[in-house]
Amino acid sequence: MHGRRNLMYRIGIDVGGTFTDLVAVDPGGRSTLAKVASTPQDPSLGVMAGLERLAEVLGRGLGALLGETERIVHGTTVATNALLEGKGARLGLLTTEGHRDVVEMREGLKDDRYNLRMPPPEPLVPRERRLGIRERLRADGRVETPLDPASLEAAIRRLAAEKVEAVAVCYLHAWRDARHEQQTAEALSRALPEAYLSLSSEVFPQIKEFERVSTTLVNAYVGPALSRYLQRLENRLAEAGYRGPVLIIQSHGGVAPIAEASRLAAGAVLSGPAGGVAGSRYAAKLVGHGNLIPFDMGGTSTDICLIVEGEAALAQGRKVGQHKIALNSLDIVSLGAGGGSIGRVDAGGILHVGPDSAGADPGPACYGKGGTQPTVTDANLVLGYLDADHFLGGHSQLDRAAAEAALDRLAGRLRVDRVAAAEGVHRVVNTNMAEGIRLVSVRRGVDPRRFALLSFGGAAGLHVTDVARQLDLTRVVVPRVAAVLSAWGMLATDLRFELARTHIGDAGALDGAAVKRLFAEMAAEATRRLEASFAGEVAIQRSVDMRYGEQIFEINVPLDDVDWSAADPLPQIVERFHRRHEALYTYAMRDQEAVLVNARVAAIGLLSDLPQEPRLPAGPAAAPQGERRIFLGGWRAVPVFAFEELAPAQEVRGPAIVESAMTTVLLRGHDRATVTPHGWLDIAIAPRAA
Amino acid sequence: MAHTVDPITVSVIQHRLLAIVEEMGEAMLRTSYSQILNSSRDFSTGICDLSGRLIAQAEHVPIHVGALPWAARAVTEFFGADIHPGDVFLLNDPYHGGNHLPDLTAFVPVFRDGTPLFWSINRAHQSDIGGATHGAYNAGATEIWQEGIRLTPLRLYDRGEMRRDVMEMLATNVRHPRDFRGDLAAMIGSARVGERRLLALAGEFGWDTALAAIEAVLDGAERQARAVIAGWRDGVYRGEAFLDDDGHGASDIHIRATVTKRGSDLVIDLSDSHEQVLGFVNSSYPNMRSAVAVALSYLIDPQTPKNDGTFRPIEVIAKEGTVVWAKPGAPVTLCTNHCAQEVMEAIIKALAPACPDRAMAGWGRRFRIAIQGKDPRSGKPFIWHLFQARPGGGASPVGDGWPGGGEWQAAGGIKFGSIEVTEVRFPLFFRRHEFRPDSGGEGQYRGGPGCSLELAVEIAEPARGNTAGDGVKYGACGILGGADGLPHRYVLHSEGRPPREIKTKEVGIPIRPGDVFTVESGGGGGWGDPAKRDPAARARDVASGFVTGS
Repeated sequence: MHGRRNLMYRIGIDVGGTFTDLVAVDPGGRSTLAKVASTPQDPSLGVMAGLERLAEVLGRGLGALLGETERIVHGTTVATNALLEGKGARLGLLTTEGHRDVVEMREGLKDDRYNLRMPPPEPLVPRERRLGIRERLRADGRVETPLDPASLEAAIRRLAAEKVEAVAVCYLHAWRDARHEQQTAEALSRALPEAYLSLSSEVFPQIKEFERVSTTLVNAYVGPALSRYLQRLENRLAEAGYRGPVLIIQSHGGVAPIAEASRLAAGAVLSGPAGGVAGSRYAAKLVGHGNLIPFDMGGTSTDICLIVEGEAALAQGRKVGQHKIALNSLDIVSLGAGGGSIGRVDAGGILHVGPDSAGADPGPACYGKGGTQPTVTDANLVLGYLDADHFLGGHSQLDRAAAEAALDRLAGRLRVDRVAAAEGVHRVVNTNMAEGIRLVSVRRGVDPRRFALLSFGGAAGLHVTDVARQLDLTRVVVPRVAAVLSAWGMLATDLRFELARTHIGDAGALDGAAVKRLFAEMAAEATRRLEASFAGEVAIQRSVDMRYGEQIFEINVPLDDVDWSAADPLPQIVERFHRRHEALYTYAMRDQEAVLVNARVAAIGLLSDLPQEPRLPAGPAAAPQGERRIFLGGWRAVPVFAFEELAPAQEVRGPAIVESAMTTVLLRGHDRATVTPHGWLDIAIAPRAA
Repeated sequence: MAHTVDPITVSVIQHRLLAIVEEMGEAMLRTSYSQILNSSRDFSTGICDLSGRLIAQAEHVPIHVGALPWAARAVTEFFGADIHPGDVFLLNDPYHGGNHLPDLTAFVPVFRDGTPLFWSINRAHQSDIGGATHGAYNAGATEIWQEGIRLTPLRLYDRGEMRRDVMEMLATNVRHPRDFRGDLAAMIGSARVGERRLLALAGEFGWDTALAAIEAVLDGAERQARAVIAGWRDGVYRGEAFLDDDGHGASDIHIRATVTKRGSDLVIDLSDSHEQVLGFVNSSYPNMRSAVAVALSYLIDPQTPKNDGTFRPIEVIAKEGTVVWAKPGAPVTLCTNHCAQEVMEAIIKALAPACPDRAMAGWGRRFRIAIQGKDPRSGKPFIWHLFQARPGGGASPVGDGWPGGGEWQAAGGIKFGSIEVTEVRFPLFFRRHEFRPDSGGEGQYRGGPGCSLELAVEIAEPARGNTAGDGVKYGACGILGGADGLPHRYVLHSEGRPPREIKTKEVGIPIRPGDVFTVESGGGGGWGDPAKRDPAARARDVASGFVTGS
C-alpha cells in the first residue's frame, strides 16, 4: 500500500499530432510542464519520453515520480486517426438476413446538395463482408425467426477465411432484446478468439438501425488499434513503476479507465478535442463567467463549442469524417477556417478564404517550406500583426518576401493593392468564423451575445477580438498557456459511465412503476460498472429522450429534480418534456401524445477537487517591449507587450499587441485588456462603430 | 448606379447574404411543426428584390431554386404601391407565381426609408393543402381545383395585424389546421429573421454600399457561370426525355430540349414538347423554369451561389399549352418531381456532348405509395408514406452512382425513416430491404443500384393505397454511351389472386390483410462506354453483388 502522503502528483497528458504536452500538478497547485515531440507510430513512446522529461524537471527519476503519482489522465487521438486515415481493422459484419445494406443506404442522405459529381463514401466494411444471418425479432421483442445455427456457422467460417480482425454484430430490434446477439457473440468467441467483438446491444442499445449499425462498426473499426495502444501504454507505465489508474478522456467529456475505454472504443473518437473543452470548463470556473465559447483556431480549422452555465453542451451523435457515431459526445463544431486557410478569387471576382488549407506542410508561404498560396497567416504578416523575426518566441523565422509575393498574386486577381488584399483575407476569414458561430448558437437556441469568447490555439489571438465584435460580444478571455489549461481541465474531469435503453411507448399508456424500475436497474448497473474502477462518491444523472407522436426526432429531457419516491413518476417526466420542448422550440403541444423512446443514466464518479492554480504575485505594470507598425485601416505604430511580463490588474489599451511564444493577441482601438490574477487577458471589446 | 464599392466589401457582403438565408433556414427548422419540414427539410429560404431578382437562397431543395422570382414578381405586381411595413403576404397558386399547391410561400417586405426594396421569403411544402385527397398528391385529379386550396397573392398581415378572418378561412380548408398554423408561424418567423438581418447589414455598411455590393455579387455569380459555360463546345444540341404516362390515357409523353450554346450563352427551347395532358404531371411555368435552373446548377460548379446572376446566361423558349407549361386550370401537383426531372433530363442529355466532364447520368424517378388503414394493435387509423427503397443515383465522370441515392430533383436530400421505428409505429413488417442487384445502368461508371423491399401489411381490415410517380417504363437515363438503369417494378401479392403490378398513378388500391408488396426501385443511369469500364471495378461489382454476372 502507498501511504497517502506520498501520492503527490496528478499528471495530465495530451497527445497531439505534433507535440505531446504533459502537466504535473502538486497538492499546492503548482504545475510543471513538459513538451516533447509526438511519436505517431507508437504514441506511448512519446508519452514515456514526456514523463521522463517531467521527472527530470522535478529533479527525480521516472520511477520515483510515478511512485508518487496518484492519477494519470490522458487524451488520445489514436481512435480518431484510425478512423479519419482509414487505418482501422479489417471488419466483418453479421446482420439480419435481408438487411445487410443499412450502413451503405445512409438513410438516403448525401451531403453537398448541388454536387452530383462526387463518388459515394466507402463504408467501413465492404458488402461482401456484410453477411446476413437467418434470425429476426419483431418490434415487440417476439422471435419471428429463431437464430439459425447453420447460417451463423457458415458466416463465421467465411469471416475466418477472410481473416477479419474485428466483427460487428447488429441485428434488427436488438435494442429490444439482445439474446440473438449474445448467442452470436458466444459462437464468435469460440471460433475467432482473437477477433475484437462489437455488439450493437452493448455499444448502442437504442432503436434506429442506421445509427446503431454505424456506431457498432466504428467501434469495431477503431477498437483493436485503441486497445492495443492502451495496453502498451499500461504495460510501459507498469514497468516504470506506476500503480495508479490511467483514465482516458471520452468524447462525452468524462473519463473512463482503460478497460472500459478499450471496450467502448467509439466513445474515444473525440478524446483529443474533449481535453480542450475540459480546459474551457475549468476556465469558466476560474474567470467566473459560465457562458463561454472556446474558439480554438488551428492551421486548417477552428473548433468551437458552447459552454452554458459552466457545462459543455452534448450532442446526441455526430459524424466524424463520413461516419455517424450516435453516442453522446461533446457538441464540438469545426469551422473550415484556420491560419493555413487559403485565399482565392473565384471567376466572379469574389474573394473566398478556405476551406482549402496549406496545412502544416507546406504551410503558409511565409513558413518558407515551399508554399506559394496566400494564407491567413501570410495576410497577418503583411498587415504587420506578426513579427517575422520573433514568431513563436523567436523559435522560427517567417519569410516576409514569400508572403508578399503570395498576396501580390491574390491582389492582382482582385485588382487591389497588396495590403488591401491582405486586409480582405483577414476580414473574410473573420466574417466566416463569426457567421459560423452565429449559426451554431442559433441552431442550439442561444443568443451568442450572452457569451464570452475563450481564445485557444496559436492563430486565435489575432482574430478573436474582431470576431467577437462582429457578434456584438463584449468580452474575450485569453489564457496564458492553453496547453496547461487543457491539462488542468483534464485533471479536473470526473469519471463518467453512461447507459441508455430504449423503452418506447406513449407515456399515457406506459406503466409508471415499470419505468421507475427500469431507472433503478440502470442506476444500479451503471454504479456497479463504475465502481469496478472507482471507490469514491457516485452521483447519478437521469434523462429521457422523448418526442410528440408525429415527430421523428427526440429531444433529451434532464430529470434531475424528479421525485423518484412517487409511485408513478411519469406525470413529472411528461411535464418536464413539455417544458423542455417549449424552451427549445418556443411551443409545447400538451394535448398530443408524448412518446418516451430512450431512458438514459450516467453514473459520475466525483473526483476530489484540484487545488487552486496559484495566483501570480503582484508587481509593477510592465512597460511595452517595443513598437510595431501595423495596418488598422491605415499604418500606425502600436506598443507591443510581452504576455509573460504583464502584472496582475495591469490594463492594456488598444491599439496594441500582446505577444508570447504561444500566441499573438491584437487589441484594436478602444479594446481594453485587464490582466487577471492568474496572468490571463480579460478583454473588454469596444462596440462596432455605428 | 454611381456608387462604387471595393471588392473586399463585396466579398464580405456575399458571405453575409448566404449566412442570412442559412440562418432563416435554421429558424425554420427549429420552429416548424410538421415532420416534412423539420425532418425532411422540404422548404427553402431566400431573398428577392421587388422586381423578383433572386439575391440569395439557402441550399435546401434544388427544385425550389429557380422558382422564387416568379412568385416574388407576382406579389409585387398584385399589390403595387400597397405594400407596408409589417405586412405579410402568401401565395401558392401555380398560375399566379407558385410551382404547385402544397408549396406555400410567405413574403415579408424589407424597407429603406419607407420604400420596399426586398422580399424575405420562405417557401415550405405543407403536409396537407386541402383538395380531394390527403397530402395533395391526387393521381385522379384532372383539374387543379381537385388538388387543393388556391391562394393568389394574399395579404395575411396588414401593417403588423394578422387578418384573423383570412387565417380562419385558410386553416378551415386544410386537414391539419394545427400543424398548418404552427408551420405558417414558423415560416413568417423565418422570413422576419431575414428582414431583421438585412436591415442590420444595411445599417452596418449603409444602404448605398449594400445595394452596390449586391449588384456586384449578382454580376460575380454571372461571371462564374459564364466562365464555365464558355469552356463548352459551341453548337446546337438536342435532348429528349419521356414520361411513362399521365394516368389518364396519355403515354410516352415527350419533352424535347434544343439547346443552342454560343459563347457563354445558352438558349433552351422546350417548345417542341408534348401538349399538356389530363393528369397531374403537367408543369406550371415557374416549376419548368426551376427545372431549367437546376439542370444548369448541376452542370456548373456546385459552390457557385444561386442567384439572379447565375441564371442570366440562360434564355428559355417554351409554349403555353405544352406539358412543360400548362394553361390555367390543369392539375400540376406531381410536377416538382415529374415532369421537372424530364425537363432536366432533356437538357442535360442535350448538353452532355458539349460538357462530357460535367454531365451526369440520370438519377431515379419518384414512385411513392401511401397506405391508409387501421392499426389492429391500437385500433387507430394510420397513414403511411413510402420513403424507403430509394432509387439509385446516376453515374458521373468521377465515378459510379450513389447506391440508393434518390431522385434527381432532390439528389440525396430526402431522409427515409428507420425500419425499426416504422415497425413500432405502423402495422408493417419489412422482410427485406437491400440493394437491388443489376439495377444500375452499365457504363464506364455504373449507375447506383436501386433497392429491393419486401413489405408485409399486417392489418386486420382492408386498407387502401394511393400512388404517385413515374418510371416503371422509362428508367433513369444513361448518358454518353452508358445504359439506362432498370425501371421500377412494384407488385402487390394477395393470397388467392395473381400478383398485381402497381401503376404509378393509382387511387384506392385495395389492400387485404396479409398482403405483401415487393418494391423494386430503379437504378441510376450509367456514364460512358461500358467497354471502358476498369476490369478491377467489374470484379468489385461481382464481389459486392451489385452485379450478379448472370
